[in-house]
Amino acid sequence: MNKKSGFSKFLSENIGFLYIVPWLIGFLLFKVYPFGSSLIYSFTNYDLFNGISKSGIMNYQTIFTDSDILRAFGVTFKYALFDVPLKLAFALFIAYILNFKLKGVNFFRTAYYIPSILGGSIAIAILWRAVFNTDGLINAVVKALGGNPINWMASANGALFVIVLLRVWQFGSAMVIFLAALKGVSQDLYEAASIDGAGKWTQFFKITVPLITPIIFYNLITQLCQAFQEFNGPFLVTKGGPNGATTLISVLIYNNAFLRHKMGMACAQAWVLFIIVGVMTAIAFVSQKKWVYYSDEDGR
Amino acid sequence: MRKNIKKATSLALVMVMAASLAACGKSSGTGDAGGSGDSKTSEGGSGDSAGGDVTLRFSWWGGDSRHEATEKAIAAFEAKNPNIHVEPEYGAWSGWEEKQSMNIIGGNAADVMQINWNWIDSYSQGGTTFADLHQYEDTLDLSQFPAESLAQCEVDGKLMAVPVAITGRVFYWNKTTFDEIGVDLPTDEASLRAAGQAFAAYDADYYPLALGEYDRMIFLVYYLESKYGKAWVEGGQIQYSEAEIQEGLDFITSLEQDHVIPTLSVIAGDMADSLDKNAKWIDGKYAGILEWDSSASKFRQAIVESTNKPNQEFVIGEFLKFGDHDGGFTKISMGLAVAANSQHPKEAAMLIEFLLNDAEGVEICGTERGIPCSQAALKVMDEKSLGDALVKEANAKVVSFSKFPLDPKFEHNDLKANPDGVYYKVFGKLSAGEIDSATAASDLVKGINECMGN
Repeated sequence: MNKKSGFSKFLSENIGFLYIVPWLIGFLLFKVYPFGSSLIYSFTNYDLFNGISKSGIMNYQTIFTDSDILRAFGVTFKYALFDVPLKLAFALFIAYILNFKLKGVNFFRTAYYIPSILGGSIAIAILWRAVFNTDGLINAVVKALGGNPINWMASANGALFVIVLLRVWQFGSAMVIFLAALKGVSQDLYEAASIDGAGKWTQFFKITVPLITPIIFYNLITQLCQAFQEFNGPFLVTKGGPNGATTLISVLIYNNAFLRHKMGMACAQAWVLFIIVGVMTAIAFVSQKKWVYYSDEDGR
Repeated sequence: MRKNIKKATSLALVMVMAASLAACGKSSGTGDAGGSGDSKTSEGGSGDSAGGDVTLRFSWWGGDSRHEATEKAIAAFEAKNPNIHVEPEYGAWSGWEEKQSMNIIGGNAADVMQINWNWIDSYSQGGTTFADLHQYEDTLDLSQFPAESLAQCEVDGKLMAVPVAITGRVFYWNKTTFDEIGVDLPTDEASLRAAGQAFAAYDADYYPLALGEYDRMIFLVYYLESKYGKAWVEGGQIQYSEAEIQEGLDFITSLEQDHVIPTLSVIAGDMADSLDKNAKWIDGKYAGILEWDSSASKFRQAIVESTNKPNQEFVIGEFLKFGDHDGGFTKISMGLAVAANSQHPKEAAMLIEFLLNDAEGVEICGTERGIPCSQAALKVMDEKSLGDALVKEANAKVVSFSKFPLDPKFEHNDLKANPDGVYYKVFGKLSAGEIDSATAASDLVKGINECMGN
């Protein structure tokens, strides 16, 4: 009577696995398979319309010898170098302010979060161009103040600044995570520090920052990965210009894959990017021992 | 027991979800995506719905006016052929090629496709991607189209598309700006440079001519052909030496120096998608362009409807003389093709016939896709005085003047893609002073030869 039927037994023993079957199928089909096949294709001259006629390391040789591709990787590094610290600093700064009991704080939290929802849409690209073009909003202000209009696209740094600022402006999601972390810092610590005569800046750097380093670390990793994969800004706003100054590697991957259908080269570039992001992430993980404080660990 | 029912229900739900994943895949009964090229397999097919009704998908890119006209033409076609239903798929050019090429490679292309001429070279896969329209001559009257135009749409003797229109680049000027500055419209090199000086003296933001990267490449070819009387590429080979090309590149650089054309960084600073959307064109600061005849309407509309400076006068210019020859080329602007794996190629051919040769279809579409190649369409347009007079005038001018051929690879994405196509890289670096004209000429030749497979 108590003996389970074969089906019931099978259900009991495998129910957990069966629950994740849909996810597993999706994972294998849409993650593992493309991941593995892209590695194989990266060693071929796979063209969507002409197939594969050659195998070898020629794509990687091209990547490491073509000055335009190397420049794109260099620009991507430069972009990440400016974007990640600026975005983290800005998100933390705003989160810190919005952590105070201010009038209408919920409105400001929402307002600052909205740009990160808008993302890199076409509408934002148009807005950004309207702000930064030579007859745009910023130059209108510059002219009103008696200055000469700035052609942001005339120099490599000016154009890079435009797309870095676009990403930094979308600091909302990082800000919300910082805000949650700041809420978790005990007020007792601030009170004790105040009694000891610590000012706001001292409290911020000696209490707040150390206690939220795990969250800073988390945001650093996610922002780093996103920065290296940035596509919308250079593709929609600056179109990679002027003269390749904002051509991030993601734009080259897109053009090779979907415009020229050279999947072999696109896969190789994507793999090099993946390895770079992996190395950067690994460095961040190794470095955390020096600066990230986990409250459940002793000694740090 | 109850617990088991719950588990079984959950499991059923899991299976439904898993099945829904499978539903994400392409469900097609159309067979091999690559296609054998045998489009007769389903001729006259009654395929996908009961009662012999046929559903065709028709894809095209363009602006609002083209969309409206084509939808009206589809409605008229459906009224004439009640057993055929046409599903339109349309959008702007931006991103269109990427989407359509993926549809083609995925075997999901529309039955009837508006294609760029160079797509025949890039995507026909040896004549298997598109149906051979020679096989539907009983439905589609190919005798209405010039034989040489049809020949340009063939691969291995198979007709991949029917040419819709012939197009070429024409000089257009904003006469209001030229009058305001008090300088004549350019007709040759001297008058062009004189205009540059006058514009610079008037206001440093004003230029008589604006040329982007790809425009510069076309202008370079026009200049060289005018001077040397040779086609740019013939038989897959560049017909110019590096020294000749360098001289042409120096000429373009000198136009920048003489304030005839803005540097590319100035144009980039405008942050406009295209020149017709550039505020400096709209407000008359850029007073000249070298553009397709079929684009005349949108450039004129931009300056006529300018908010800051309405009703500026837009005129077609004379071809600038740079030598003893008439430079420039004409090409098939676009074609209508049928997917090789279409279940209803005959009905698809009927739709093309209606749009390109039928009096009703021609009247509705007008010059939305340029001045038609079809003699039947031209006759209808003449009889009923249809089409934009400006586009017709521009087309007549370029067709009678520019006689050089164009190699289909001229528009290949290895060369034309922004920002990493050869044209963009070479002209960008040259304009920025990163390379000299000798290096630019060498890079251009090298890039084109690689694209040509030389």
